[in-house]
Amino acid sequence: MSEFSLIINGQKVKAREGMTILEAARGAGIEIPTLCYQEGLAPFGACRLCTVEIVKGQRSRLVASCVYPAEEGLVVKTESERVVKGRKLILELLLARAPNVQVLREYGMKYGVDLMKFDPEPTSCILCGLCVRYCAEEKKKNAIGFIGRGTERAVMFFPEIASEECPKCGECFAICPTGVLPSNYAINRVPHFTWPVNPFSGTYK
Amino acid sequence: MTRLNSSASVEKKRQEILNSKDQKKLYVTICSGTACHASRSDEVFQAFVDEIERKGLREKVDIGRTGCHGFCERGTIVNVFPKDICYLQVKAEDVPEIVSKTLIENEIVERLLYEDSNGQKIIHENDIPFYKRQNRTVFGNNRLIDPQNIDSYIALGGYTALTKVLFEMTPEQVLEEVKKANLRGRGGGGFPAGIKWETTRNAPGEPKYVIVNADEGDPGAYMDRSLLEGNPHSVLEGLTIGAYAIGSHQGFIYVRQEYPIAVENLLVALEQAREYGLLGKNILGSGFDFDVKVHRGAGAFVSGESSALMTAIEGKAGEPRPKYIRTAVSGIWEKPSNLNNVETWATVPLIINKGAEWFSNIGTKGSKGTKIFSLVGKVNNTGLVEVPMGTTLRQVVYDIGGGIPKGKKFKAVQTGGPSGGVIPEEFLDLSIDFDELSNVGSMMGSGGMVVMDEDTCMVDTARYFLDFLAGESCGKCVPCREGIYQMLKILNRICQGEGREGDIELLEEISEVVKDFSLCALGRTAPNPVLSTIKYFRNEYEAHIYEKRCPAGVCKALISYYIDPEKCQGCTACLRNCPTGAITGGKGLVHIIDQEKCVKCGTCLEVCPPRFSAVTKLSGVSVPEPVPQGTKVIRKGDRKK
Amino acid sequence: MCGLTVKRIMARKKTKSAFVGIKMTSEQAELLDRLQRVLNSATKTEVLLKGLDLLGKLYPSTSIPPPWILLGEGETSPPVVTNRELAMLEAEARRYSTNVQQVRNKTKEVMKQMTQELSKTDRIVDKYKGDKSSLIQLLLELQRENHWLSEEMLKWVSQKMDIPLTQIYRVATFYKAFSLVPRGRHSISVCMGTACHVRGAPHLLDKVMETLKIRPGETTRDMRFSLETVNCLGCCALGPVMVVDGKYYSKPSTKEIEQIAASD
Repeated sequence: MSEFSLIINGQKVKAREGMTILEAARGAGIEIPTLCYQEGLAPFGACRLCTVEIVKGQRSRLVASCVYPAEEGLVVKTESERVVKGRKLILELLLARAPNVQVLREYGMKYGVDLMKFDPEPTSCILCGLCVRYCAEEKKKNAIGFIGRGTERAVMFFPEIASEECPKCGECFAICPTGVLPSNYAINRVPHFTWPVNPFSGTYK
Repeated sequence: MTRLNSSASVEKKRQEILNSKDQKKLYVTICSGTACHASRSDEVFQAFVDEIERKGLREKVDIGRTGCHGFCERGTIVNVFPKDICYLQVKAEDVPEIVSKTLIENEIVERLLYEDSNGQKIIHENDIPFYKRQNRTVFGNNRLIDPQNIDSYIALGGYTALTKVLFEMTPEQVLEEVKKANLRGRGGGGFPAGIKWETTRNAPGEPKYVIVNADEGDPGAYMDRSLLEGNPHSVLEGLTIGAYAIGSHQGFIYVRQEYPIAVENLLVALEQAREYGLLGKNILGSGFDFDVKVHRGAGAFVSGESSALMTAIEGKAGEPRPKYIRTAVSGIWEKPSNLNNVETWATVPLIINKGAEWFSNIGTKGSKGTKIFSLVGKVNNTGLVEVPMGTTLRQVVYDIGGGIPKGKKFKAVQTGGPSGGVIPEEFLDLSIDFDELSNVGSMMGSGGMVVMDEDTCMVDTARYFLDFLAGESCGKCVPCREGIYQMLKILNRICQGEGREGDIELLEEISEVVKDFSLCALGRTAPNPVLSTIKYFRNEYEAHIYEKRCPAGVCKALISYYIDPEKCQGCTACLRNCPTGAITGGKGLVHIIDQEKCVKCGTCLEVCPPRFSAVTKLSGVSVPEPVPQGTKVIRKGDRKK
Repeated sequence: MCGLTVKRIMARKKTKSAFVGIKMTSEQAELLDRLQRVLNSATKTEVLLKGLDLLGKLYPSTSIPPPWILLGEGETSPPVVTNRELAMLEAEARRYSTNVQQVRNKTKEVMKQMTQELSKTDRIVDKYKGDKSSLIQLLLELQRENHWLSEEMLKWVSQKMDIPLTQIYRVATFYKAFSLVPRGRHSISVCMGTACHVRGAPHLLDKVMETLKIRPGETTRDMRFSLETVNCLGCCALGPVMVVDGKYYSKPSTKEIEQIAASD
């Protein structure tokens, strides 16, 4: 594989073909915050926390470093003003959904977020998808999946599969950044699939 | 149907069709586009069938359907050939008169003709000012084609472009022609189609796919629907030409499931094209194979985004993918896939037939050719309008659209759907051009053009679009999912009179992050309606927040209905129609609205006789103390004394 | 039953065994045998008495004494096994078996319906011949056919197409066209496109919601109407527009809406 170098925060960093900016940065010991990234799973690009600013010729853009491929001569800024501003707001938005999650608070402290910027409406799940992707890609069991769309999007265990597979596995519990997955499992794992739907309103909650 | 299998057979078929038609025979067409369908064109059609049968004219008169003509405000549109008489707003009850007067006695039914501003009656459809001021190169044939009959398309010269391409041009030559024409995508992105085609052609990997994006999700836009319903073969021909140029043998048409007639007409068109050998194996005997599959959408706006669409064709939930790997290189099943909008494909046969030079002579430097717009909203002549790029907004809204109804004042025109912005009066002389529209904070989009007047609230408009986008967001990435949600919350508060200091700034702050950090174009363009309404109508936001006033009188929480005691004549119309019984009064007594019971439905304002005009909408001021119950009205006559 | 005498009832049946000197049908004898074993009773008389007791408790309202049992004031029927009591037992057993038969038929009907539904599903699934990428098209057809996607249907599709159940639910919950709850017989859609919005669609929606007493996405209790909002039907010139079962209504008045709601 061909090797080349890119410049991250003014530092020359070596990378191989097929690497993403995030992988190249981590290889050089440069920290980029992530929530939905997990080594071994295909990058998802959902949390957008790993966004960095890249300069290509005259134009500068914001891209998700976990997905964007490293290129020869690419100039990357991981903590530019635009990037930090966005990271702060993303954390503030997430904290409204998962106010007591440690990793969010830690990042929040680092970037100086306003914890009360948005009224809390806790769902505790930040929809990073790590559990879903782990079960699908690594374990290939598909016991848990996404349902719904937009703010109605949720993660759900499917009892038909979960009742058989999960008791002997439970590995996704450790991956969940919020730590809420185990309780999600307990509540939703019912023997009969009672779809949590109001028969006359058709909404999922 | 016999297969056409040589370079000469299309032309031969065309001559055959023209010769078999008795040009002098009476032929009646009834527009069956969606809007006319909603105006009960089916009943009109049936009425013609019945009446012609009744009068024993079956041998003398042919009846047919056409797709949308575009003048949707005046449906149902009926044309009588060979004289080319155009009747508007035809109802089933009018049919007997048309049959007896026009078909039998060869006279014109004057009252069904178009009347211009000078009182002049116009007979031929193309002379009507609405049409005359347009340049209907792509859309114009709709009025002459029966979408379920391929012969009507061939009779007008259909499939001659495909013949030329397959037998006289190499794929590279076709590519060059389209590149030279500088055809930019008509779906909203405005990306040069020729370059996309070239990228797909050069990308490694087989098979290659070509796709028609007929998802048309922008609310208020229905150009693609009318093209597909009315002239499906134009799209198929363009698609086949593109497939030849790119080296693809499999095409997909992704149609939203809310368009059942378009799907039906497409399937019929595909079948007929296959029977004629214009689709499938060895097209026209040229050795080129190409076939098409129709794929229905299932109700997701976001699936109209090109990478999401391709994911949907793969059978998965249509979520967008990061665009760093272009779909032209890695699309459906990671194979090179070229996606273009319906209108883009329909323009291709014209470019081949008339030449790239002809095409690039129309329009502006950066935007060539014509564009179809759906001109809707507060405008007199609602419908589909095709104009050359470079036409000004004023020409479209006033000259073609006929201006604002009821003498109201123009406020803004919204283009580009939920991804676009509002354009106020000061820019009415802007030329319609991809870059010009983006420069003022809006965009061309797919062609939706919504006209708004003084009674449209700009804050409510922003809220409406965000509400739409919040429901359509796929929810994968945080900025779009949570950012739009929070912005919507703020706008809801503002419209309910609970706006706070700092709300506008917060909206701008969230907008910037959503714009820069979202995964796909839905999220990245979602803040546009908010940002452009704040830019041009900040005063409306400030009125809502600081004065609790809605200048347009729309936001229910900020308006009150009030009956002016000096104008009320005690006719009891409002009292009788009020759904909550909030009005007290009696004959000859001043009517009073109980503000506690009023639900702001506006019925009282609707039913108050215009000569009294006693009901008013107040906003930002407190409702005056009501006069005592039982006060007598001031008769108009009395006031003179 | 009241018109028949005990003798005629007994004469109609074949007899195989005797009990307390009374001839019974083989079914009756078998029943008594079984009951004796189940109830662990010493004598058949005890069983019979116990049976009568239970029947009496089960059918309190139906223990109208048959006309041949004449009771005096304050007298209850003596606890002596008579032909008459047996006849009563038989009558109750008959009634009971009729009920059981009805339930069995109903179950057969329900099972038949379910197999029909699944075979309809099967026919549609077979059309797509295991092409996993046609999942959305397949579900659209199922939705059109049945007006909703039931749990059984989706599990069946998962099995037959070899697609994980999570994937199917992902698609079924992502798209608005699919409904996971039963829908009404008629569908009412109110257009909320930009042009209609500007022309007063929210007002129209309010009127419809008030008349039907449901919100968009819901179905009326009597399963007649389902209400939903759509984004642009393409007839902006006629806005605001409402579609009921494919029929378009432009600017409908409150009266028109009420008429539609009152129709079947």
